Amino acid sequence: MSVPINSYLLVALILFCIGLYGALTKRNAVVVLLSIELMLNAVNLNLVAFAKYGLFPHISGQIFSLFTITVAAAEAAVGLAILISLYRNRNTVQVDEMDLMKR
Amino acid sequence: MEMIANAWLVPLFPLLAFVLLVAFGRQLKEAAAYVGILATGASFVVALLIFFERFAEDAKDYIYNNFHWLTFAGKEITMGFEVNQLNAMMLVIVTLVSMLVHIYSRGYMHGDERFPVFYQYLALFTFSMLGVVLSPNILQLYIFWELVGVCSFLLVGFYFYKPEAKAAAKKAFIVTRIGDVGLFIGLALIFWWVGSFNYNDIFNKIEAGAVEEWKLTLIGILIFVGAVGKSGQFPLHTWLPDAMEGPTPVSALIHAATMVAAGVYLVARMYDLYLASPVAAETVAYIGGFTAIFAASIGLTQRDIKRVLAYSTVSQLGYMMLALGAASAAGYVAGTFHLMTHAFFKALLFLAAGSVIHAVHTQDIFEMGGLWKKMRITGLVFLIGCLAIAGIPPFAGFWSKEEILVATLSSGHIDLFVVALIAASFTAFYMFRLFFLTFSGQARGGAEAHESPGVMTVPMLVLAVLAVVAGFINTPWKPVLGEWLTDGFTMFHAGGHSAEHAAPVWVTLLAVGVSLVGIWLAWSMYGKGTIPQGEGGPLYRLSFHKYYVDEIYDAVFVKPLRAIGKGMYAFDVWVVDGLVRLVVAFTKGVGSTGARMQNGQVQTYGAIAFIGLVLLIAGLTIAGGYAEQWRTIFLQS
Amino acid sequence: MSGQFIAFFVLALLTIGGAVFMISFHRVVHMVVALAFTFLSIAGLYILLEAEFVAMTQILVYSGAISVLMLFGIMLTRHDASEVQEKKSPVKWLIRIGVSVFFIIVFLGIQSVQWSDKPADFTAKDNVKEIGVQMFTNYVIPFEMVSVLLLVALVGAIILAKKEAEEE
Repeated sequence: MSVPINSYLLVALILFCIGLYGALTKRNAVVVLLSIELMLNAVNLNLVAFAKYGLFPHISGQIFSLFTITVAAAEAAVGLAILISLYRNRNTVQVDEMDLMKR
Repeated sequence: MEMIANAWLVPLFPLLAFVLLVAFGRQLKEAAAYVGILATGASFVVALLIFFERFAEDAKDYIYNNFHWLTFAGKEITMGFEVNQLNAMMLVIVTLVSMLVHIYSRGYMHGDERFPVFYQYLALFTFSMLGVVLSPNILQLYIFWELVGVCSFLLVGFYFYKPEAKAAAKKAFIVTRIGDVGLFIGLALIFWWVGSFNYNDIFNKIEAGAVEEWKLTLIGILIFVGAVGKSGQFPLHTWLPDAMEGPTPVSALIHAATMVAAGVYLVARMYDLYLASPVAAETVAYIGGFTAIFAASIGLTQRDIKRVLAYSTVSQLGYMMLALGAASAAGYVAGTFHLMTHAFFKALLFLAAGSVIHAVHTQDIFEMGGLWKKMRITGLVFLIGCLAIAGIPPFAGFWSKEEILVATLSSGHIDLFVVALIAASFTAFYMFRLFFLTFSGQARGGAEAHESPGVMTVPMLVLAVLAVVAGFINTPWKPVLGEWLTDGFTMFHAGGHSAEHAAPVWVTLLAVGVSLVGIWLAWSMYGKGTIPQGEGGPLYRLSFHKYYVDEIYDAVFVKPLRAIGKGMYAFDVWVVDGLVRLVVAFTKGVGSTGARMQNGQVQTYGAIAFIGLVLLIAGLTIAGGYAEQWRTIFLQS
Repeated sequence: MSGQFIAFFVLALLTIGGAVFMISFHRVVHMVVALAFTFLSIAGLYILLEAEFVAMTQILVYSGAISVLMLFGIMLTRHDASEVQEKKSPVKWLIRIGVSVFFIIVFLGIQSVQWSDKPADFTAKDNVKEIGVQMFTNYVIPFEMVSVLLLVALVGAIILAKKEAEEE
C-alpha cells in the first residue's frame, strides 16, 4: 500500500498557497522572488507525482519538470539582474516604492 | 338684442387694458390710469346698454355656452357667457364702481413708484370679477373665482415691503382658499349627482325633483362655505379686517363693493338650490345673522378708520346672507337689492376714508377731529354714506334694510329678526361714532388737512348721489327691481311665493327707531361729550380684541400645523435626504475603494486578480453543484 | 505502516515546515536558509516518487545554484540590515481569506477525483536512461530550445546587471 497521490498533491497545494501568500504580501523584492520559486517547486512536485500515479502515468511528467526547473533558474537569474539594476537606480528594494505606474 | 349677444365685450376691455399695461406700463407711468379708466368706462357703457336691453318688457335670458373646452366622463364641459337679470345688474354695479375707483386712484396713488402695476392689478381684477358674473356654469365661475382671489392677494399685498401687508395678503388668500375647498367639493358633487355644471341643467333637474333633498342640502352648505370664505362670514371673516393693509381704493373696490359680494352673488345665483333645501337656507340665514351682530359688536370699539369700515362690511354681508337665507322671493330681492345699495355706499365710505387718510396721514380716529371745517366735501359725502348705512330714509340703505327685516320676519325666524334689529342699532352707533370722532370737535392730530383734489372728490360725489337715489328703484309701492329680478324664476311662482308684500308699518318705524337711538348715543358720547366714554371693561376688551378669534385660530390651527410642518421637514431632512445621502456615500465609497485599488503597486494588482479568480471558482463551485458532488465523494473516500 | 509512509511523512513535514518558516522569519537570510531546506526535502520527495534524476537536478539547481544566487542578490541590495516589513492589515486579511478559500476549493477538487489504481512501474527501469531516451527522441526540440533560452537568459542578465559604461 503506497502513499496515495492525494497526499503529494496536498503537499504541493500547501506549498503553492504559502508561496502565493508570500508573493502577494512581502515587501522585499528578493522575498517575492523566493516565493515565486516556491510556487514553481510546488508545480514540479505535482508534475512528478502525476508522472507516477496520475491518470495516464508516463515519464513525460518528469521531463516536463526538468524543463520547468530550467526555466525557473533562468527566470531567477534575470529577475535578480533586474532587481540589482533597480536597486542601483532607486537605492531600495521595497516593492511598495516602485509605483511609477501610478503617476 | 345685439348688445347682449356681445356681452363678452364687457370683460374683454379690462383684459385688454391689463395686457397693454403689462406690456407698456413702465413707459406710460401715470398715463396708465387713462388706459384703465378708458377700458372700464367702455365696459360700463356696454354694461349699461345691456342692462337697459334686458330691462325691456319682453327681454329674455341670453346664453352662449357652446365653446367646447374638454370632455371627461363622457360629458362635455363648455365655456361661454350668460346674461340674465341678476347678471345685468351685477355688470352695471361692478363696472361702475370699478370705473369710479380707477378715477379716484389717479389722485390717491399719485406719486407711487408702482403706479402702472396698481392699474394692471385693478384691470385684472375687474376682468376676473366680470368673468365670475357672466359665467353660465359653475366650473367657469370657480375658475374666475380663484382668479379674483389671486387679484385680491396681489392688491392687498401691494405694499409688499411692509411685513403686515405681506402677512395680510397671505391670510386673505389662505382663508378664502379654505372656503374655496368647500366650493370645489360642492362642484364635484354637483357634477356627480346632476351630471352637468351648467346652471340651467342644474335648475331643471332640481325643479324636476330628480335629486334627493339631503344631496341638495349638502351641496347647498358646501357652496355656502365657499361664499363664507369669499364674503368674510364667521368663522372665515378674519382676513377682511387685515386686508385693509392694502391701499384704500383697493378696499373700496374689492372689499366693499365687488369681490366680497361674489359670495352673495353665488348664493343668489344658486337660489333654486336653497329654495329646495330648507336646511341649507337656514344655515345661510343663521350664519348671516350671527355674523351681522358679531362683526357689528367688534366694530363698536375699533380705532382704525378702515377697520371699522371693514367690520361694517362683514356685518352688512351678514345682512345679505340673512336675507337670502329666508328662502323666499322677498328674501332674494332684499338680499340682492342690499348688495347693490351696499356697493354704492360702502365704496363711498371707503373712498371718503381714503380721502381723510390722504389728508391727515393717519388711520387712528382718535388722532383726527375737526375735519368738517377743512374738508367740507369729504365730510358731506361721508355723512351721506353714514346716513345710508344706518338706514335713515330716504337714503338708499333704508329701503334695502327694511326689506331685509321684512323678509326675515316673514320667514318666521323671530330670533333672527331681533338680532338684525340690534345689529342695525350697533351699525348706526359705530358709523356715527366714526363720523363724530373724525369730523367734529377739535383737531387732535397735528397734520395740516386740506381737501382732496377733484379727481378724488368727483367719484365720491357720484357715489353719494347714487347712495341717495338708488333706493328708489325698489320702494314697497313700486317694487320695480323686485318684480324684474324675480321674473324668470319659475320656482318662485311654483312654490307660491311672490314678490308681493306689504311691509308692516311697525317694522319700518322700529327699524328707523333703533337707528336713531344708535345715532343719538354716538352723538352723546363722541359728539357732544355728555356721556363720558369711560374705561374699557371686560366686554370692551373682548370687542376690541375681536373676541380673540385670531388668537384662537393661531393656537388651534396654525401652531399644530406648523408643528406638523416642522415634523415633516425633519422627516424630509433625515429620512428622505438621508436615503439620498446614503446613496451618495455608497457611491463615493465604491469610488474611493476603486481608487485605492489603483495605487501602482504590482502586488495590489496581483492580489486583486487572484481574489477575482477565487471568487470566480468559488461561485462556480457553489452554483455549479460541484460542492455537493465533492462533498459526497469526499465523505465516501 | 511501511517505511515509505514514514519517509513521506517526515519529508512532507520538513517541506511544509521549511516553507512556513520562510514566510514567518524576519530576516531575509534566514528565509533563504529555510527555503534551501524546503528544496532539499522536495528532492527527497522526488526520490520517493522514483524520479532520481529529477531529484539530483533539483538539488544541484535549486538548493545549489538558486539559493546562492538569492544570497548574492540579498547581499548586493541590502542597504540596511532591517527586517522585512509587511503590508498594511486590511489587504493582508483579504489575501489570507482568498488564499484559504482557494485552498479549500482545490482541496475538495483533489479529494473528489477518482485516481487510477495502477501507477506507473519505474522500479525495473533505469530512470536516467528512460529520461534520456524520451528526451532525445520525443522532446529533442524543446531540449534544444531550452539551451537557447539559457543562453539568452545569460546574456540578458549580464546586460541588465552591468554597470553603465560611462559611470566609473
